[in-house]
Formats: sequence, C-alpha cells, structure tokens
Amino acid sequence: MKFLKKQEDRHISILRKRWLKFKTLKRGYYSLITLSGLYGISFFLPMLINNRALVVQYEGEMYFPVFSGYIAGKTFGQDVPGEARYRVLKELFKMKNNGNWVLMPPYPYSPYEDITMEGNKMYEPPSTNHWLGTDNTGRDVFARLCYAFNISISFALILTVINYIFGILIGGSMGYFGGKFDLFFQRLIEIWSSLPMLFVIIIISSILKPSFLLLVGIYTMVNWIGMTYLMRAEFYREKAKDYVAAALSMGQSNFKVMFKHIFPNALVPVITYFPFSIVAGISALVGLDYLGFGLAPPTPSWGQMLDVGLQNVTKWWMVFSPVSAQFLTLLSIVFIGEGVREAFDPKVYSRLR
Amino acid sequence: MSDKSLVDIRNLSVSFPVYGGILSRKVAEVKAVDDISFTIGKSEIVGLVGESGCGKTTVGRALINILKYVAPDVEIGGEIIYHFDGEDIDFTKLSSRQMRKYRSRVQMIFQDPYASLNPRMTVSQIIEEPLKIHTDLSLKEREESVHSLLGKVGLRVDHAGRFPHEFSGGQRQRVGIARALATNPDLIICDEPVSALDVSIQAQVINLMMDIQKEFDVSFLFIAHDLSVVEHISDKIAVMYLGNLVEFGEAGQIYHHPRHPYSRALLSAVPVPDPKQKERERIVLKGDVPTPMNKPSGCSFRTRCPLAEQSCADNIPILETHASDHWVACPIVKNEGVK
Ligand SMILES: Nc1ncnc2c1ncn2[C@@H]1O[C@H](COP(=O)(O)OP(=O)(O)O)[C@@H](O)[C@H]1O
Ligand SMILES: [Mg+2]
Repeated sequence: MKFLKKQEDRHISILRKRWLKFKTLKRGYYSLITLSGLYGISFFLPMLINNRALVVQYEGEMYFPVFSGYIAGKTFGQDVPGEARYRVLKELFKMKNNGNWVLMPPYPYSPYEDITMEGNKMYEPPSTNHWLGTDNTGRDVFARLCYAFNISISFALILTVINYIFGILIGGSMGYFGGKFDLFFQRLIEIWSSLPMLFVIIIISSILKPSFLLLVGIYTMVNWIGMTYLMRAEFYREKAKDYVAAALSMGQSNFKVMFKHIFPNALVPVITYFPFSIVAGISALVGLDYLGFGLAPPTPSWGQMLDVGLQNVTKWWMVFSPVSAQFLTLLSIVFIGEGVREAFDPKVYSRLR
Repeated sequence: MSDKSLVDIRNLSVSFPVYGGILSRKVAEVKAVDDISFTIGKSEIVGLVGESGCGKTTVGRALINILKYVAPDVEIGGEIIYHFDGEDIDFTKLSSRQMRKYRSRVQMIFQDPYASLNPRMTVSQIIEEPLKIHTDLSLKEREESVHSLLGKVGLRVDHAGRFPHEFSGGQRQRVGIARALATNPDLIICDEPVSALDVSIQAQVINLMMDIQKEFDVSFLFIAHDLSVVEHISDKIAVMYLGNLVEFGEAGQIYHHPRHPYSRALLSAVPVPDPKQKERERIVLKGDVPTPMNKPSGCSFRTRCPLAEQSCADNIPILETHASDHWVACPIVKNEGVK
C-alpha cells in the first residue's frame, strides 16, 4: 500500500493505518490541522482580541488588566466612570512620554464594548481599525466573530462528547446485554424520538433563561439517540464473535469485555460520525440563536449576528461576515468528514487521490 | 465413574427459547443439546463428531460455561461435574463470581481463526491476557511466558508485536492455541480447530496439538464434523445427531465396529487411506436433517435411518452398553447382536 513507506511501519494497528491514510488525503488533513489550530488559538483570544491592556506601567507599578480583570480608570488618573479606557490611556501615555506605557493586545477591541465606549460608532464599514466594521450597537464584528467561533466549536464538541458518553454506555449495554434491558430502552427510544423536539426546545428555552449548559442539556436530550442506535448495532454484532467468547471464558469481567475488547472494534461509527455531529451541533446553535432561543445576549454568536445582519442587509459586512465564517468552518469539517470516510473505506483506490 | 475421570457430563440439556408475537413471548425452543451424558478422562482425547448444527459447539460452550453470556435466556439442565484436585464442582450450579476461579482450568480453541482473535490487540497482548487475570506474574515474567508459549506453538518471538491481520489462518490458530495453553488448563475444547484451514496446513496444526497434549498432559474434547480428523487422534469418540448422543465408546471400537446406523453412515464417508484395502460400502442417508426446533418423536434419527421400524417413533432410545466401553442408543442394532 502506498501510504506505508517504511519497512517498520508494517506492525501497525488498523487504526494507525487509517490515520496514515487520512494524512495522505490532503484536503481533509489540512482542514483538520487548520481548524484544530484555530480552535486551540481561540482559547487565548482574551490575550489577542481585547480592549483590556496586557500590561500597564504606571508610576513605577505594573498592572496586568487582562488577567486581573476590572481596574477602575481612577487608578491610572483617568477621569472616567468605571473601568479604565486602555486605548485612550495608551495614546495619552505616548503623548506625555513620562515613562508610563500601555501594551495592548494585537487587536484592541472587545466583542462586548458598544457605543457606550467612546470612539465606537454604529454601522462603521470595514477599516484598518475595525477589520470587519461594527454592528448596530457599535460592537466590533471581527472580535465577535472570533469569540463566536470558540463558542460554536466548544458547544458542538461538548454536545458530541456527551452524546457519545450516553450513546456508548446505553447503546453498548443494549447490544451487549440484550434481553429485557434492550427491549426496555428500545421502547423508550421509540417514544422519545416521536416527540416534536424543536417545539420542546422552544418551550423549555422560553420558560428557562437559556444558558450554554442548558442548551447543551436540551440538545443532548434530542441527539443521544442516533449514537445509541449505532453503538447498539456495533456491540450486538461484535458480541457474537469468538474473541468475546474467548475473553469471557478466560474470566474477563463484563466491563472489561465491553470496553477493552468490543469498544475498540466499534470505533468506526464513533469516528466517522464525529465530523457530522460537530456540523449538526454548530448548525443547531446557529439556528437557535437566530430564532432568539439560543445563548442569552450579549454572548457573541453567529446566529445572533446573522439575525441583526439580515435586519440591516444594506450593511453588507454584517451579513457577509457571519455567513462566510460559518461557511468556511462547516466546509472544512465536511472535508475532514470526507477524508475520514475515505480513510475508513476498505477499498484501497480512492477517488480523492 | 472412575477416579481418572476429569469431567462427568450427566443428562446435559440446552435449549434456546424462540420469542415471537407482539408481547415477545416464548413460542418455541431450539433443543440444541438433549439429555446427553458422557465422561472425559484425565489426559484423554475425546472426539465429538456430528453434522453441523447438531449441537457440538453448544456442548463445548456448556463445558466452559459461557452459554449464559452468549444467550442470556438459555435454559440449561443436567450436571457438568469437574473433578479438580479431589473436589467435585458442578459448573451448572456456580454463580459467575464462583466460576471465576475455575475459568483458568478449561479453555477453548475456536473454529474461526479470523474471529477468535481480537483484531485490535497484538499477539503478546492476546496471550498475556489470561496471565494477567489468573496470575500475579510481573510484566517481565509475563513477557517470558509469552515468548516460551510462542516457541511451543511454533511461532517466533518477533511475532509477539504483530497484529492478527498480519498472520495466515494456520498461524492465527497457533496464537489461539498459545492463548488456551497460557493458564495451563486441565481441559481444552477444540471446536473444529482445523476445519477453516487449508488442507495442507491441517495436518501441521493437528500434529502440533497432539505434541502439546502430551507435553502439557491436558485433556482434549476434539470437535469435528466428520470422523476422518478425529479417528486417529482420539482415545474415545462420541457421535451426536440432532442434539442426542447416539454412540460413545473407545475409538478403535467405534472406528472398526460402529454400531449405530448413523455412525456407520458417517464412517462410510471417510475415505480409506490404504489403496490395497477395499473401499467401504458407501451409505448415503436419505432426506435432510430435521430442525432441532421440530424434532421427530422417539428416535430423532428415524426419519433418515435405513433400519427404522414402526416402534422407533415411540420411545427416545437411551444409551445402552454393547461392549465394555461402548454405548449405543439404538434398540434395533442391540437386538441384532454383535456382528
Ligand atoms: N445462541 C443461540 N441462540 C439460538 N440458537 C442457537 C444458538 N446457538 C446455537 N443455536 C442452535 O443450536 C443448534 C446447535 O448449534 P451448534 O451447537 O452451533 O451446532 P454445531 O456446532 O454442531 O454446528 C443449531 O440449530 C443452532 O441454530
Ligand atoms: Mg460448531
């Protein structure tokens, strides 16, 4: 096989072989690297995109507002109500040139500051200051976009992991133990999946104040079923194989048989389903935010940005930005999914190479 | 029976319920094993033969006590009494916790070498697993045991790090043998261990198993679907038909003087190796094997039996002594007398 270059690569597990094959499918591989890289970086956003300074040197003392949080303007001799205005402070210190200085993050705007902060205007078109302009309340679109990226992916990831935990535990036990246990959960799932879930979600989120965790909880209620069915089928099939009988006959416990023997052989749906689950999670959050049942404002979110964008269609940057951010993210995840599917395809010759 | 017996199987019955209808009630049952009794002696090789579907694997699985895991609703009757170190232990009465400490003493070699090894584990992980469960050996000692077992089954030490998919069927079956040997069991159930292999390799694997049987002084229950494999290697042979044991006895007796009409038919299908010897008269059975869900009344073989009489439909024949160490379940041949 082409992707096995070196001789010592021969004693490798099937999963590693598939990973090596995935790496040869450039589109998916580079999408994975880019996306996970960006997601990793997005955890440091407060240090990259923020209106709080990284470091302030004032009268011989050092302050770190990004890390310490709120510092009143008076501390730095600024005559403003509430928190210090670091951008203004920076200009001021530069002008006075008396040994005080301010180090701002590379992109000195926060996703939350609106027209109440001086210098911010509504509907400002893209410029070197505001790369993607400002929105109807004067918030920086680029900053919001980046923060929303982190929230979207985190939401989808947490959702997927929780769905997987439920799916693997419940579905795996259904397939493995069979009998009455299986029957009970089958009926439960049938009833559950016939509920009109969108309405349930809308009702719940109009009663309770939607928060990140509540939305994750609600969506898990809907989505655990898909994975459960897949895992049930996998465990049911694998259980009948003789390696399971061998493990049982040497006295291995049910738990070990399920998770040491069967689960590693049931990974194919777990992995191939993953990108699609992420896509579904992101789209779900966008949909709910757009309808106004999602995360409570002012949390930056693509759906909410799309909503206000569409109310102001003439301000093209407000529509263009969230749409292209979603498009690019979903597209790269689809590329990853395509690569994964291809890597797990037992046929050696592929369309993609 | 004698103090040399390792396991006495007494009136063993296994049936799998069949569910149907809206309420999933039991509508029928598959009597896979129906009231069979025989004995496996210490360091003895017992061959178990019969057509596929007659319940051989089920007997093997009952002997290692994993039927309850494989089919949670299974109904098991009778006794399987092992004699370990002067203790009599009935496997059918043990809870799964009590069973654990005896798991090391009975092992199985499976029919399909492709399904019986976990594809995600390396050979050394596979062979090491029973050692991890049943011994307190250190990592180093386990590694040594794995290497010595690999040597015993004719594999190389550098095979240890490989995955099953890198091996041929014969080599995989050797890994399966090494895994079964790891805990030094008293009985190994070999469930058609060579029937999935190329003919050219079958003899090698069988010879290996015979060497191992002598070296480890272990008992074998050797399952096969025809007599040609077991006739040379077994001390005793048990013949099964549709869940019933129809003949049991010393291998030479059964091979040279089969009594039950079914055994005779099975034997007549075995090719004669010596060309000078006369071909055996070929007995071709009429009809198909009935399903175990719907067995004929009386003798289950009567629908295909060349000797069947009216009376065969009335009573289920029981195993009766025909000679010392030879039991046959057929009243007709009994009356016929020894030929
Ligand atoms: N888990 C099971 N559930 C239901 N029926 C079974 C199960 N295992 C075996 N059987 C039935 O029991 C009978 C004997 O099967 P088996 O012991 O595998 O035969 P053999 O090994 O001689 O080919 C067959 O009719 C088979 O369909
Ligand atoms: Mg079988």
